[in-house]
Amino acid sequence: MAPDHDDLSRGPGHGATETDKFVFPKWTNRLREASAVLAVGGLLYAVVLVTGVFSPQNTAVGYAPEQPVPYSHALHAGKMGIDCRYCHNTVETTAKANIPPTATCLNCHATVRTQSELLEPVRRSAETGEPIKWVRVHDLPDYAYFNHAGHIQSGVACVSCHGRVDRMEVVEQVQPLTMGWCLECHRDPAPHIRPVEFVTDMEWRPEGDARELGARLMQEKGIAPSTDCTTCHR
Amino acid sequence: MPRWILYLLLVVTALTLIPIGLIYRSSRSAKDRPRVQVVYDMDQQSYYKPQSENPFFADGQSMRQHPAGTVARGRLQGDEAFWHGTAGADTVFVEAFPLELTRELVLRGRDRYAIHCAPCHGPAGNGDGLVHRRAQALAEGTWTPPTDLTTAAIAERPVGHVYNTIANGIRSMPAYGPQIEPLDRWAIAAWVRVLQTARNATIDDVPADVRATLE
Ligand code: HEC
Ligand code: HEC
Ligand code: HEC
Ligand code: HEC
Ligand code: HEC
Ligand code: HEC
Repeated sequence: MAPDHDDLSRGPGHGATETDKFVFPKWTNRLREASAVLAVGGLLYAVVLVTGVFSPQNTAVGYAPEQPVPYSHALHAGKMGIDCRYCHNTVETTAKANIPPTATCLNCHATVRTQSELLEPVRRSAETGEPIKWVRVHDLPDYAYFNHAGHIQSGVACVSCHGRVDRMEVVEQVQPLTMGWCLECHRDPAPHIRPVEFVTDMEWRPEGDARELGARLMQEKGIAPSTDCTTCHR
Repeated sequence: MPRWILYLLLVVTALTLIPIGLIYRSSRSAKDRPRVQVVYDMDQQSYYKPQSENPFFADGQSMRQHPAGTVARGRLQGDEAFWHGTAGADTVFVEAFPLELTRELVLRGRDRYAIHCAPCHGPAGNGDGLVHRRAQALAEGTWTPPTDLTTAAIAERPVGHVYNTIANGIRSMPAYGPQIEPLDRWAIAAWVRVLQTARNATIDDVPADVRATLE
C-alpha cells in the first residue's frame, strides 16, 4: 500500500483532525474493484468446486463396494492365472459378462478351503440355493446400451475398460464410463485393438506400435465403431 | 489499508485451497458409496435386468429356468453321439468324433482348454496347473490331484468318455457342462487328443520339412 493511504487511515492521534473518523478512509475507494474481483473469483471458485465434486472422476471412478464374500481377483485371476472367461463365460457371446453362479466357486471350493470362514456365505448359498448377493460395481444408466460381445470379438481387451483387475483385491471402477469416454475410443479405436486371442491377457503388449497393429486389424476385419446416437441409445 | 485485512485475505485464500485438496484426494481414492446421480432422469428404469432380483417369483430371481418338458429352439438333443458322447447305452462311449475335425475346431479347443482345464490339469495336460499347485501346497487333505491326461490309460479311453467327463464330471472332478457348450466340449476333447499325441510323439512324427527347426 502506498504510504499516503496509510497515513490517512491512521485516524485520530496521528495528527489527523477530529472529523476524519466520520469519513471513509481513502483506501476504501478500492473496495469497489476488490468486491468485483472477489465476486468473479468466488464464482470461478464455486465452478471449480462443483465440477470437482460432481465430475465422474470423483463420483464414479474408484467405486469399490465391499462384497458379501471377500473374493479376490488378485488371487484367482492374478496369482493362480485363471482366465476371466472361466467365470465370466458369456462375455464373448452376449451383452452381459455374467457373474458366476455359486456352482462355479464350488468347482474348486468343494475340495479346497472347505472350512474357511470367509467362504461361509458360499456354502450357505449352495445349501439353500439362494444366490450370493454380489454388489454391482459398473453400472451404466439404463438408457445407454452396451454390449460386451461386440467389443471382445473386435479385440478390445478387458484391461482397456476395467483396468488391472488381476491386481485388485476388491474390484474397483477405474474408468469414468461417461459418454465422452465411450466416444473417445469410438472415434479412434486403433490403439486399443489387439488380436482376439489376447483380449483377457492383462499383460499383453504389442511387439511394434500398438496403433499400427490396431489399424491393420481394423482394416482386415472391417472394424468401424459407430458414433451414431442410435448405436448406444436404442 | 490496515494490515489485518491483508492477513485475513491471505488466510481466507489459503483456506479455500483445502476443499480443493479434499476433492482431489477423494477423486483419487477408492470409495464404497455408489455414484451420485445429480439428475436422476431415466438412469434406473423399472424393468428386470439379467441376474437381478424379482420378488414376484418364488426363487426371487428375474431370470427364469426352462419350464419342465420344453426344449429351446436348436437345443433338441436328437443326435445322441453329439449331445451325450454315447452310443445306445449310457456307458457305451463313442470312439470316433461325431463331427468333422477341422483345424479351426482344434485351435478352438486349445483356446477353451487353456480357459477351463489348464488351471487344474496344466497347459500341457500333465496335471500341474497353478490352481492345483496352490491347493496342494495348503496340504488340507481334501484336494484330489487332477489326473495326468497324457498317460496311456487316459489316452486309451474313447473320445466320448472325455466328452462325458467334461459334461458331467467324474468322481471328484466337477461337471463343466453348465459352462461349456457341446461344440466346445468336442473341441476340447480334440485338443486333449493333441496333447496326448504330442506327449508320446517321437521325432519321426514330425514332418520332415519342419524337423530342422527343432534341432
Ligand atoms: C474365479 C472366478 C472369476 C474369475 C477367474 C474372474 N472373475 Fe471377475 N468376478 C467374479 C465374481 C464372483 C465377481 C463379483 C464380485 C466382485 O465384484 O468382486 C466378479 C466381478 C468382476 C467385475 C465387476 C463386475 C461389476 O459388478 O461391475 C469385473 C469388471 C470383473 N469381474 C472382471 C474380471 C476380469 C477382467 C477377469 C480376468 C482377469 C476376471 N474378472 C476373472 C469372478 C471371477
Ligand atoms: C479354479 C479353482 C477355484 C475357483 C473356481 C474358485 N476358487 Fe477361490 N480359491 C481357490 C484356491 C486354490 C484358493 C486358496 C489359495 C491360497 O490360499 O493359496 C482359493 C481361495 C479363496 C478364498 C480365500 C479363502 C481363505 O480362507 O483364505 C476366497 C474367499 C475364495 N477363494 C472365494 C472364491 C469365490 C467366491 C469363488 C467363486 C466366484 C471362487 N473362490 C472360485 C481356487 C478357486
Ligand atoms: C469397451 C469397454 C469394455 C470392455 C472391453 C469390457 N468391459 Fe466389462 N463392462 C463394461 C461396461 C460399460 C460395463 C457396465 C455394463 C452395464 O452397466 O450394463 C461392464 C460390466 C462388466 C461386468 C458386470 C456384469 C455385466 O455384464 O454388466 C463384468 C463381470 C465385466 N464387465 C467383465 C468384463 C470382462 C471379463 C471383460 C473382458 C473379457 C470385459 N468386461 C471387457 C465395459 C467393458
Ligand atoms: C477402448 C475402445 C472402446 C470403448 C472405450 C468403447 N467402445 Fe464401443 N466399440 C468399440 C469397437 C472397436 C467396436 C466394434 C465396432 C465394429 O465392430 O465395427 C464397438 C462397438 C460398439 C457397439 C456396437 C456393438 C454391437 O454389437 O453392435 C456399441 C453399442 C458400443 N460399442 C457401445 C459402447 C458404449 C456404450 C461404450 C461406453 C460405455 C463403449 N462402447 C466404449 C470400441 C470401444
Ligand atoms: C458410444 C456410445 C454412445 C453414443 C454413440 C452416444 N451416446 Fe449418449 N450416452 C452414452 C452413455 C454411456 C451415456 C451415459 C453417460 C453417463 O452415465 O454419464 C450417455 C448419455 C447421454 C445423455 C445424457 C443424459 C443425462 O441425463 O445425463 C444424452 C443427452 C445423450 N447421451 C445424447 C446422445 C446423442 C444426442 C448422441 C448422438 C450424437 C449420443 N448420445 C451418442 C453413450 C453414447
Ligand atoms: C477344479 C480342477 C479341475 C478342472 C478345472 C478340470 N479338471 Fe479334469 N480332473 C480333475 C480331477 C481332480 C480329476 C481326477 C478325478 C478323480 O480321480 O477323482 C480329473 C480327471 C480328469 C480326467 C480323467 C478322467 C478319467 O478318465 O479317469 C479327464 C479326461 C479330465 N479330468 C479332463 C478335463 C478337461 C477336458 C477339463 C476342462 C474342461 C478338466 N478336466 C478340468 C480336476 C479338474
